[in-house]
Amino acid sequence: METIIAEERGPRPVLVNVFLRGGADGLHLVPPVGDDAYYRARPGLAVKAGEALRLTDFFGLHPDLRPLHGIYQAGELAVAHQCGTADETRSHFSAEDYVNHGGLEGGGWIGRFLHRTRDPEDGPLTAVSIGSGVSDALRGVAAVAMRSLEEFTIPDRDPALRGQLGAMYARAGGVLGAAGASTLRALERIESVRKGGGVSGGVAEAGYGDDGFSGGLKLLARLIRARAGLRAATIELGGWDSHFAQTTLTSGLMPVLARGLAAFRKDLGGLMGEVHVVVTTEFGRRVAENVSAGTDHGRAGVCFAMGGGVRGGRVLSDWPKGGIGADILEGPGDLPVRLPLHHGLMAVLKRIRPEVSGEAVFPGLEAGELDW
Amino acid sequence: MKTTATMTRRGVLRLGGGVAAGAVLGGCGKVRALWPRRGELKPFAVPGGEGIGPVAHVLNRLTWGAGPGDYERVRAMGGTEEEAAAAFVEEQLKPEMIVDDYARAACAPLEAIRQPVPELFEYKPAQLDDELTRRAVIRAVHSERQLYEVMVGFWSDHFNIDASKLDCQWFKCADDREVIRKHAMGSFREMLRASALSPAMLFYLDGRKNRKDGEADRPNENYARELLELHTMGVDGGYSQEDVMEAARCLTGWTVTGREVQFGIGRVYFDARGHDDGRKVVLGVEIPAGGGAGDLDRLLDILMGHEATGRYVAEKLCRHFIADEPPGGAVAVVAEAFRASGGGVREMLRALFGSEEFGAARGVKIKRPFHFVVSALRATGSVTTAGGGVKRALLVMGHVPFHYPTPEGPAPEGSAWLATLLHRWDFAVKLTDGGIGCSRNEPEKLVKCAGGVGGLLGHCFGRRATADELAAAGAVKDVVALALAAPAFQIY
Repeated sequence: METIIAEERGPRPVLVNVFLRGGADGLHLVPPVGDDAYYRARPGLAVKAGEALRLTDFFGLHPDLRPLHGIYQAGELAVAHQCGTADETRSHFSAEDYVNHGGLEGGGWIGRFLHRTRDPEDGPLTAVSIGSGVSDALRGVAAVAMRSLEEFTIPDRDPALRGQLGAMYARAGGVLGAAGASTLRALERIESVRKGGGVSGGVAEAGYGDDGFSGGLKLLARLIRARAGLRAATIELGGWDSHFAQTTLTSGLMPVLARGLAAFRKDLGGLMGEVHVVVTTEFGRRVAENVSAGTDHGRAGVCFAMGGGVRGGRVLSDWPKGGIGADILEGPGDLPVRLPLHHGLMAVLKRIRPEVSGEAVFPGLEAGELDW
Repeated sequence: MKTTATMTRRGVLRLGGGVAAGAVLGGCGKVRALWPRRGELKPFAVPGGEGIGPVAHVLNRLTWGAGPGDYERVRAMGGTEEEAAAAFVEEQLKPEMIVDDYARAACAPLEAIRQPVPELFEYKPAQLDDELTRRAVIRAVHSERQLYEVMVGFWSDHFNIDASKLDCQWFKCADDREVIRKHAMGSFREMLRASALSPAMLFYLDGRKNRKDGEADRPNENYARELLELHTMGVDGGYSQEDVMEAARCLTGWTVTGREVQFGIGRVYFDARGHDDGRKVVLGVEIPAGGGAGDLDRLLDILMGHEATGRYVAEKLCRHFIADEPPGGAVAVVAEAFRASGGGVREMLRALFGSEEFGAARGVKIKRPFHFVVSALRATGSVTTAGGGVKRALLVMGHVPFHYPTPEGPAPEGSAWLATLLHRWDFAVKLTDGGIGCSRNEPEKLVKCAGGVGGLLGHCFGRRATADELAAAGAVKDVVALALAAPAFQIY
């Protein structure tokens, strides 16, 4: 059985992609408090300069994201503003597709990365999506969806069943055969993790919330600690599609996001040097608020990077000198993309495996790396 | 009366054996009659061909899976397999002619979701959600109008609404019956209009907030975008951002009353003061100023008349019924039926099932989790009230009906759901072991009635079992669990 967990090996770098589904509003999460045009465009929604937590002279952090502020100040969290992709559809579906596939090619950006950098240690738990389905970002490698360790089993009333299923799926071949084999291997691996623990002594003090997002991050931390072979994980926090009543809607989500990430970092402690977190979303939102105190689908947004040696405590942006007035907006009034998202992601991947090329992970997109 | 009913049911369960009565009684509602739908489980014929034959194929695609005796009944509908399959297609295309007393009776205890709209608000969302899920499962498992139920599932995905959003918690019940179930085999045009004015849709995609009161007001384009992208033309349908905004302008003023009012909840109306009554141009077609409420139908007519809409709906139907990569020939035929009939669902389906591509694409699709669960319940001849373990299984596989958060609906390709394989195996084992509450079956009798292990596999796979499959079945105690967990039961 090849279920031996490489306890003795050094930590393997892990990529964690947090996806904010629905189109999180970068101007709300990281308001440009030094920009008058921002306040003119959002008379009802803008974050007041006095309430935002200071990031730079020009940018603030929404107060509901307070747990992230200390991480930023410690230099372990960086922000890329006016960040996004070339997808101009403003469609959730297309934009999410573009982000997770990493362009218009088939496969996922993380999947391509894992495939290019595969090594013999890779196993059924190399790529995990927290939740009920595997993220498109992981397409191209074997990946499993997981909600908890406990649900990851089958009753063994009939000991012969597993073996016979294994044989049947092996004969089936194709996608079913691969899924069957990967399921059986994952089952064995999880059972050894469950016996071997992976729970840190400090998990109770880490400060996780009771919500599913915190629960998912807690599970990831356990897999990372247990050295279960994890190399990349995705986790979603949805509900950012704030077409109306944006303040109410996001005030429930931002604390969940910030609290979860802060607890995850605390839980992992020194291991965070090898854990690379990137927070993405499908698009930012329109600069002007709409009639329902919300914002519609836009273009550029924000991307966060945490841990993994990111040069944090900085907001990277190429903000227009005269602010975000009508003259610089595109389409129906959206912030144009200045920092390509894939450059931000590529910089993180390069820290994990310097030899991997941008062309391999983001085929067809202009190569480049964000300086963070 | 209540006591008597409970006692009777308890007596029935005791007689059936196999399941601890206590496990079944907890929150399940009433288990009325026993499978099969037309009487007790008795010996039945199973498909015996080397591959999936025409009858097994239509049972695979037009139903939520074959139950005990279904093959035998359909096979008898024609002299040859092909004739029998064609007769079954015609039968299923006319659901109104099919007696469905059993399913109706099985759903009778689900009373809350049948209430008129304002009365729905007297119930807790959790109860409505429970009843909605259970009705979807019970009807899929027990209805004789199988194609109709398959289409209900199809349109529920097409016009996806997350029933947990705001007042959709109540209104989705009305949407299910007034939009989806009412038009599932009728007119796409009417379904589209009903959806546009459905209280649940007006909440889900913020249409109710889309109004123009002042010159500076920008329309809320959420619904308009999904109307073009997901409901009619498809993302590659050739519309522009400008078209989305113009469509949103057409729809300004339509709104609905929610919980904030005391009387008349769920009243959908056109508020002329919130309507942008200027001239619009959608997809190059002009809608003159002053159209008022009529802009809605002008917009829908433009969308219905656009070639992309017929193609997009045809593509989705062909993906659903033929293959994940819909064959171009069949798409063209179905799109033509859409055009000729003005969006007649029945006409599109008849064209689709008559296409060569449909007949040829046997066993090439992978079941999604809901399909797997329902087909397992049907194959085993289970009686279910769809509480407890059935709902838990759907939840853990991420496929509870009406729970998909974003408007594009759950992924249509079964291959996107293969990470749930372990949960499928788990369900297969528990279902035949009495571990799924609120569902009852008799695995040993089933095997016997199918004519032994080989017959059971033939029944579950829609074809004769291979030597390897028979050997595998011979090596395990629980052959029914193995059959349901096998690769051949994941495809259809």
